[in-house]
Amino acid sequence: MTQPSAVAVLLSDLFPLVWSGLITGCLYALGAMGLVMIFKCSKVVNFSHGNVAGLAAFLVYGLSSGVLLQLSWGMAVGVTLVAIVAVAVLTYALIAPLVFASDLTATIATLGIGLIAQGVTLLVFGADIVALDLPVPPFRATVLGLRITGYDLTVLAVALVTIGALFFVIDHTKLGIAFRAMSDNPFAAEVCGLSLKAVHIFAWTVAAVLGVVGALLIVPTTFLSVTTVAVFMLQAFAAAVVGGFTSLPGALIGGVLIGVLMNLFTYYVSPEYSSTFLLCIILVALNIFPNGVLAAAGGGSRV
Amino acid sequence: MTAPTLTASGLHLSFGGIRVLHDLDLEFRPGEITGLIGPNGAGKTSLFNCLTGAYRPEKGAILLGDRPLRGLPPAARAAHGIVRSFQTVALCPDLTVVENVMMGLARNHHAGWLDAFLPLPRGRRERAAMRTAATAALAEFGLVDAADRFPAQLPPGNQRLVEIARAIVGRPTVLLLDEPAAGLNDAETRDLTRVLQRLATPDLVMVVVEHDMDLVMGICDRIYVLNFGEFVACGTPAEVRTDPDVVRIYLGSDDD
Amino acid sequence: MSESIGLLHADKRSPADAMRLFGGPALRAALAVALLGLPLVVAPSWLFTLGICFANSLGVLSVSMLVRYGGEVSIGHSVFAAAGAYTVAILEVRFGVPLWISLPLAVAVGALLGMAFAWPSRRLSGIYLAVTTMALALALPEIINAADAWTGGYEGLYVAQALLPAAPMGLQRYYVALLLLFAGVYALARLRESRQGMALLLARSHPAAADAFGTRRTWARLSAMAISAGIAGAAGASMAYASATVSPSGFTLWTAIFLLVGSVVSVYGLTLGRALLGGAFLTLVPQMLASSGAWIPIFYGCALLAVILVGHYAPKLRSLVERRGRGRSAP
Repeated sequence: MTQPSAVAVLLSDLFPLVWSGLITGCLYALGAMGLVMIFKCSKVVNFSHGNVAGLAAFLVYGLSSGVLLQLSWGMAVGVTLVAIVAVAVLTYALIAPLVFASDLTATIATLGIGLIAQGVTLLVFGADIVALDLPVPPFRATVLGLRITGYDLTVLAVALVTIGALFFVIDHTKLGIAFRAMSDNPFAAEVCGLSLKAVHIFAWTVAAVLGVVGALLIVPTTFLSVTTVAVFMLQAFAAAVVGGFTSLPGALIGGVLIGVLMNLFTYYVSPEYSSTFLLCIILVALNIFPNGVLAAAGGGSRV
Repeated sequence: MTAPTLTASGLHLSFGGIRVLHDLDLEFRPGEITGLIGPNGAGKTSLFNCLTGAYRPEKGAILLGDRPLRGLPPAARAAHGIVRSFQTVALCPDLTVVENVMMGLARNHHAGWLDAFLPLPRGRRERAAMRTAATAALAEFGLVDAADRFPAQLPPGNQRLVEIARAIVGRPTVLLLDEPAAGLNDAETRDLTRVLQRLATPDLVMVVVEHDMDLVMGICDRIYVLNFGEFVACGTPAEVRTDPDVVRIYLGSDDD
Repeated sequence: MSESIGLLHADKRSPADAMRLFGGPALRAALAVALLGLPLVVAPSWLFTLGICFANSLGVLSVSMLVRYGGEVSIGHSVFAAAGAYTVAILEVRFGVPLWISLPLAVAVGALLGMAFAWPSRRLSGIYLAVTTMALALALPEIINAADAWTGGYEGLYVAQALLPAAPMGLQRYYVALLLLFAGVYALARLRESRQGMALLLARSHPAAADAFGTRRTWARLSAMAISAGIAGAAGASMAYASATVSPSGFTLWTAIFLLVGSVVSVYGLTLGRALLGGAFLTLVPQMLASSGAWIPIFYGCALLAVILVGHYAPKLRSLVERRGRGRSAP
C-alpha cells in the first residue's frame, strides 16, 4: 500500500470492468450452454447457432418496429421464440439421419443451415445497422462506487432464472436425466423409456431458446447488424472450449471468464484485436486444460 | 536364432475403481503357441492392450527378454516387433487388401516425404518391396486373387485372414491374436489352424485368445485360463482340460 | 468423442475405389489437354476468371484432402491460403523475389502454420480443430491490418511480376494457376500410393490399428494438417498470382466456409474433375448472383445440404431400387 492513489485508480477501473464483464459473460454462457447441450447428446457442433440466434434478434426487431408487423414487444418475443423453436426442430429433422451416420457430416450440415439463416437475414432485413431497444427498467444505482444499471440487473436476473430452470429440468425431470445419462452412453436414454430423438429434440430446442435469450440481451450493449450476433457467438464458442465442450457448469464458468477477460483486454490493451485475443484464449485453454477448466480444477463435470 | 520371452509380473489394471486385471504373472515363450482363454469380460483383451501399450497398467513389469516395456507407447512396442490382430476387423476400407497387408510392414520402411509426393526411385522400390512381401503373406492364406479388391468385397472370414496376414507380414517377434477364428467357417478355420502351426517357429512368441475350444486345444502348447482378471489355471491342454477350477468356470456358468 | 469423429458416410458406403475415379485415365488426360488448349479459343476476359477458378479448385482440394486423410474439417483454410498469398506478394513487392522461388516458401509457410495450429488439438477430437481454425479465420483480418507496413493493410498488395519476361501476363496468370492445380492433383495421387498416405488412411479409419503397426496418432494428425495446409498455401499463392492482388477481404471467415462448401459439393474428391467442380462452383456462383448478394449464402447453404443429403440417401435409394428390380425379375 505504498501508492494508495494508484491502487485506488486501478480498483476504480477494475471493479466496473469485472462487473460488466460478468454481465456479458452470463450471456456468453447462455450461448455456450446451447452449444454444449447439442454437442453432449448428439456429438454435433452446431455452427448455425449464431446465425439462427441473429435471425431471431432481427425477427424481434422486425415484428416490433413495424418493418414486418407492429406487435407489442412481448408478443414479438413470443412469436419469435415459437418461430425459432420451429426452426430448431426443423433443422434437427433435416440432419437427424446424418447424426446417426456421421457426426462430422452432421456438423458440416449445420454450417449449411447457418449460411441459409445468414442469407435470409440479409435478404429480409438488409445489411444495415438497426437499433433494437429492450424494455429494461430505467434503474441506476451506485453501490460501493460501482454503477449498476437496470440492464445489468435484468441480464443477471434473466440469466439466473434461465440457467436455474435449465439445471432444475436436467436434474429432476425424466428428460433431463436421460439427457445426462446419454453423454456417457448414447443408449441410456432408451433405458429410461425415451427415444434418442426425443432427447436430441429436447437439447436442440433448449439450445435455440438459450440462443434467442442471449442474442436479445446482448443487443443493447452494441447495435444490431448481420454480424453482431455471429461475433457474439464466437465468444460463446470460446466459452464452450474453455469449459471443455461437454460440461454445462464448465460452459457457465467459461462464459464468465471470457466475458471478464475480454473486457479487461479491450480496456487495457486494445479493442482492435479482440478476435486475436479470443484465438489466443482458445489455444491456451486447449493446451493447458484440454478437458475444460472444471476437469483441470479436479471438480470433474457433473452435468 | 531364438526370440526373447515375453514376461509380465504383478500386473494390475483397473478402470474407475473396477478391477480388470489383478496381480498377473505370465511367461509367453518363443516357439510355443500359448492359448489365453476365459469367459467374456475376464480381461483377455485388456491384457493384450496392456502388452501392446494401449492401456497403462498401474503396477507390474512387462519384459521382452530383459528389455522393460512398461511406459513405452504402442508405436515403440511395435518397433520391438510386438503386433496384434483385433477382435473386430480393423482393416481400412479405403485401402485394397494388399495395401492393408502392406501396412504391417510400414515400420520397417523409411522412404521420406519427397518420395511420397514425387515418382522417385526410392519410394517406388519401397512400394514394390512391400507389395512383394504382402503378396507372399496373402499367398499363405490363398488370398492372392483378392489382393487388389477392397476389404468390404471379401467375406468376413477372409477379412479376418487378411488381418492376420497383416500381423505376420512384418515377421514379428510377438504375435497377439485376438479371437482369430471368430466369424470363420470350418474350412477357413482349418486354413487358419494350418497357418498358425506353420508360424510356430522358435523365433516367434504367439498368443491366441480364442473361444473355439477345439482350435485352442488342438494347436496350443500351453494354456492360461483367466477369470475375473486372475489366472485360475495354467498348463498343457490336457492339464487344463481336467483342472477342476476350469471345469467349474466353463461348465458351472452360462458363459460360452 | 475421443475416437468417434465419424467416417464420412460417403466412404463408408462405397469402399470401391472412390478416390481414383471421375472417368478413366484417358478421360482425365483429355480434360487436362482441353484445359491446356483453352486459351486458344476463349476470350481473354474469361481466362482471368478461369485462373481464379483453378486457384479456388486447389483450395477446395486442400480442404478435401484434410477430410479424406485426416477425417477432420477445417473452417480456417483461408488462413493458410492467406499465408501462401502474402508470402508470394510480400516477397515480390519488398524483395523482388520471383514466383518460382516464393512458391515453395509459400507451401512451407502454409504447412508450418498448419502444424502449429493442429498442435494444441493434436490429442483432441476433430471438433476442436474446427473451432480453433474458425477463431483463426476470424482473427486473420485483424492480424493482416495490424501488420500493414508489410501487408498493405486493407488495400493489399499488387502482384505483377512476370515469370517469363516475354509472354503476355494474362496467359501467364492462367497457366501458373492451371499448372499448380495439376501439380496438386498429381502430388495427392502419388500420396495415395505412398506408405505415408496409406498410413494416414489407416490411422483415420482405425487409429488403434495404426498405432499397433507403428503409426502414431499425433504424427498422423499433424501430417494430414501439414499437407493440407501446405496445399492451401500453394492455393493462396495461386490466388495471388491469378488475381494479381492480395487483400484481407479475400481471406475472411466466409472464404474459409466457402472453401468447405466447395469441398462438399465436389464430394471431397481429390481428382482433377472433382476439384474443378468445387472450384467452378465457388467462382461462378458469386458471378451469377452478383446483383443479389444475399442469395449467395442461401444458395451455398442449400447446395451444401443438398449434396450431403443426396450423399446420405442415394445409396439407400439405390439398394431399394435394386431390391425392387430383383423382386420383379424373380418369378
